[in-house]
Amino acid sequence: MENIKILICDDSVLARKQLKDIIKKCGYDNFIEASNGQEAFDLYKEHQPDLSFLDIVMPVKDGVEAIRDIRGFDSKAYIVVVSSVGTQTQLKNAILEGARDFVQKPFSSSAIAEILKGRFEGR
Amino acid sequence: MHTQFFGNFLLNKGIITPEQLIEALKVQSSTHKKFGTLAIHSGYMSASEVADVYITQTHYDKRFGELAVELGYLTEEQVDKLLTIQLPNYMLLGQILVDHKILTHIELENLITEYKSEYEIYELDLMEEQKTMVDKLLAHLYLPEDLPDTQNIISYLTLLFNNLVRFIGEDFTPLNLMTLPEVPTNFCVSQVVDGAFSFLSALDMDHEAAIAFASRYVDEEFEEFDEYVSASMEDFLNLHNGLFSVNMSNDYTVELHLQPPEAHENTVLSTEAPSYLLPVIYSFGTINFIFSVTSE
Repeated sequence: MENIKILICDDSVLARKQLKDIIKKCGYDNFIEASNGQEAFDLYKEHQPDLSFLDIVMPVKDGVEAIRDIRGFDSKAYIVVVSSVGTQTQLKNAILEGARDFVQKPFSSSAIAEILKGRFEGR
Repeated sequence: MHTQFFGNFLLNKGIITPEQLIEALKVQSSTHKKFGTLAIHSGYMSASEVADVYITQTHYDKRFGELAVELGYLTEEQVDKLLTIQLPNYMLLGQILVDHKILTHIELENLITEYKSEYEIYELDLMEEQKTMVDKLLAHLYLPEDLPDTQNIISYLTLLFNNLVRFIGEDFTPLNLMTLPEVPTNFCVSQVVDGAFSFLSALDMDHEAAIAFASRYVDEEFEEFDEYVSASMEDFLNLHNGLFSVNMSNDYTVELHLQPPEAHENTVLSTEAPSYLLPVIYSFGTINFIFSVTSE
């Protein structure tokens, strides 16, 4: 599992910590962290992570734009959108841009475990 | 829920000072219990079921009991039973003030009679009463005459009080809303919401209050003021505005968009429109809620 790289992009340091804590419990601990969509895109190009969690509402470049950029660079990118309450329209746009799944804040451990299972089981 | 209203009533009458109220709330908060805790203690729900309701509450603007029934964790009868334990008797606040020799028993009795008639408190169904009380608090809260778009602001403040009860605790008392051309802040997080109409919202407090606020919100003990404390305040504001935008969309098909929250330290909040400041007193300190409607 050490080789599996997971990108976590959220402007909230609290949300990044909470998500990392849950993922660590599932046995993964190789993280790349970004705090806005532009950083996420730059780090994606550099590291090409196996799974990316992207918040929707972020400064500089939001999640929807970042998904567009990342998918333009790597059409097979596996992206999960992290949405907060009240971001339904943007969530729909993110799915249209090619996000594979979404998870709502605050995070439920079982929902994250399901996503990791769906992505990595049977590799 | 009663304490907030009775406390506000006493402040407005000039019977007690904010300092005396803070002292009384400090004593009272040691007996404060959350609905979920009561449900666990009573054996009606497991801790994971309670956690599930709290998470669901961040997605829907509903009361704990209502969601617990919908999710099949509690029956209506159990909710009623828990509510009778949950509602802190406003007599408790009165009793503390008598113990502190701020009021005499006779003065307290008269004030309660006056309070009951002013707020039209009857022995209503308790769950209904809780909802009605928030509306009544707002009806009695002094709202500046120049307040634009009053109905939306009342919906916004109703949700704020409910979210404070749900996520921080019910041991608070709101002071009256003040109109200011600009607001000097301490540690402040702000968020712009735009769309059908636009407004700036902000949450401001000192470091000590912020640490206590964040500890309650995340349910983790923070020792010092750090980035997690700041992020918790941003998260609360984002959650509150998010729920408001969902309500506006569902109830009035009004679409709003949230901008990312920002943190500032020792700045002056100022917009072209007037700013409204709502101080809310908790036992751990005062939190200032600020908003300004920038376009209608």
